[in-house]
Amino acid sequence: MLYFLIIFSKFVSFFIRIFRFGSGSTWPGHLVLFFDPKFVKKVIEKNPNLKIFVVTGTNGKTTTVALLKHLLEKNNISCFSNQEGANLLNGIASALVKNINIKGKIKKEVALFEVDEFNFPLVLKEFNPVGIIILNLFRDQLDRYGEVNNIFSRWLEALKNVSSNTVVFLNGDDPQLYYLGKKILCRVFYFGLRKELMPLKKIPHDVDFNYCPVCFKILSYKKIAYSHLGKFICKNCGFKQSDIFTLDRFVSNFLLKGVCNFYNLTAVFVFLEKIFGFSSKKIELMITDFLPVFGRQEKINYNKRDFYIFLSKNPTGFNQSIDAALSLIKNKKNIFWFILNNKIPDGHDVSWIWDVDFNRIFLANKKIFVSGDRVFDMAIRLKYENSPLKKKIIPIRDLKLTLKEILKATRENEKIFVFPNYSAMLEVRKLLVGRKFL
Amino acid sequence: MKLYLGWFYPDLMSTYGDRGNIIALCHWAKVFRIDIKVVSISINKPKEIILKMDILFMGGAQDKQQEIVNKDLKDNKGEYLKKAIEAEIPGLFVCGAYQFLGNYYKTADGTKIRGLSIFDFYTENPGNNFPRLIGDIGIKTKINSSEIVVGFENHGGRTYLADKNLAFGEVIFGFGNNGIDKTEGIFYKNTIGTYLHGPLLPKNPKITYFLLEKAIEKKYKRKIRVKKIDDEWEKKARELVIKEKIKTYKFKL
Repeated sequence: MLYFLIIFSKFVSFFIRIFRFGSGSTWPGHLVLFFDPKFVKKVIEKNPNLKIFVVTGTNGKTTTVALLKHLLEKNNISCFSNQEGANLLNGIASALVKNINIKGKIKKEVALFEVDEFNFPLVLKEFNPVGIIILNLFRDQLDRYGEVNNIFSRWLEALKNVSSNTVVFLNGDDPQLYYLGKKILCRVFYFGLRKELMPLKKIPHDVDFNYCPVCFKILSYKKIAYSHLGKFICKNCGFKQSDIFTLDRFVSNFLLKGVCNFYNLTAVFVFLEKIFGFSSKKIELMITDFLPVFGRQEKINYNKRDFYIFLSKNPTGFNQSIDAALSLIKNKKNIFWFILNNKIPDGHDVSWIWDVDFNRIFLANKKIFVSGDRVFDMAIRLKYENSPLKKKIIPIRDLKLTLKEILKATRENEKIFVFPNYSAMLEVRKLLVGRKFL
Repeated sequence: MKLYLGWFYPDLMSTYGDRGNIIALCHWAKVFRIDIKVVSISINKPKEIILKMDILFMGGAQDKQQEIVNKDLKDNKGEYLKKAIEAEIPGLFVCGAYQFLGNYYKTADGTKIRGLSIFDFYTENPGNNFPRLIGDIGIKTKINSSEIVVGFENHGGRTYLADKNLAFGEVIFGFGNNGIDKTEGIFYKNTIGTYLHGPLLPKNPKITYFLLEKAIEKKYKRKIRVKKIDDEWEKKARELVIKEKIKTYKFKL
């Protein structure tokens, strides 16, 4: 049965790609799981030497997996991953279909799976990974995923059942994830940033875990990187972090901007050192030619203008995108373009845009275009932030029309900074490069 | 004219974009040339400060944060909050904050948490086997019956009012208090309790205006002079949601 399924699914993914029905990253998986819900488990049991690693968290999964793949391949370690957007079980099944031979064997050494934070516990039921990286936990799509405390309890339950041989890498600057590490039996390493790299002294607005996970009193912070990530201490019960692995130097040849990407980078360094024995010097030399993954600070040239795409799908991620964009900006000749959709992958509720800080953007551009399904929600959000500059804000629901207006409003070589949420990012990429994915 | 806007627990009760309500109040205050100052009423703040406020606001949160806040309200600030509401200080209490004002809240696992009993209603979460009430919602309110107030709701608890006449609005589409009796929220003296976030005030300037107007009336015994106001985008934002709903549910306006 399994062999039949493998051959069948390989046919399906071949046809999907030939006839361009999609990138083949979810449908083959859907099909095999429909015929055999235990497909992933069975394939992995047949390949006991395959080293599987899982990356989860709210923000940074795709970039982290891409970075790991880049570095492992540069060191001649063969690996494969599930494609972007396909971070549910069917995406993992599709990735297996692609890399399996008809005997059910996988020739590659390492599998890197990016897993959606909601589905992470379900995926852990299928196999025991060698290592798990948990990047962060922020509010995201509350009407779809539920509240962060819920996600956290599900993670805790799932990790309690994972083999104690699994090595877990946790963001130790996140009080809730640090606490998670203390509650599970696996081997745990914490990664974090040095105090000097943390830009904030006061706790910002977009936080989820600013209270002590032990005694529930509000935490104090010495320094803050962003959101609730920082050097924390509970003055009531003494809960604080120790044994955090940090990078001892600032890595200057890393292309991606924003503090959030320092965390992704640190996670990758600590992981590769502990699991594969890479030295940090070696890694540093090899990241020079790493390019952003699509939609994540990706630069697209269209009609001789540079469009920078900053996927922004939840408050913390959005604030980080704005920070990153501002660090690239040198004058006011830019255009900002916000696209807010509320389709299924985005969550239907757009209330979260009020937790993003927009006051910083008004001096960095000449015009602000707004589009998407919830164009006026975003337009009001911006208007209320700076009503004297309302005339700068141009709401047009349709993306194509907006793009036309943007071309009219810009000259060659000018920069357009685009901030779309998930489905909007796919739509804008389709307009600019002709296809949604890579 | 100067108003103090008291924001209860901004660091804990602010899960569903609740800050938008504060930003909206500040925006329209500026339009009406009212000087407005936001005062955080957090756990470490003295309770006496509550009665010095001209408008009150509290947002929603997750169970854990609500537990922390509930303790502070019961042991400390609740009595003053009750006095403020009775003294007709205008206020908006959304989702979790609204639930606090009633007699009790029964959680999904059956635990009964005592409320402040400022109003006669109770809330029960029927358990994890029942779906949360999630989606766009439109209501007709007593504040302005000519226009549909639009928001988004996301709550597990079902609220039942002892006196349905005290509801803030009548459900046109969506669930409201409990998904059954078509009532939404509570409206008493100048206090609004509601499940509508989205957030409520940015998309519905008439409600924002009501809170500011009542505050000015109470403090300065005068009316706000309103010239032509610019609320074109707010109107369009509401219309987009209503049009989608007409397509899906085919309700009549």
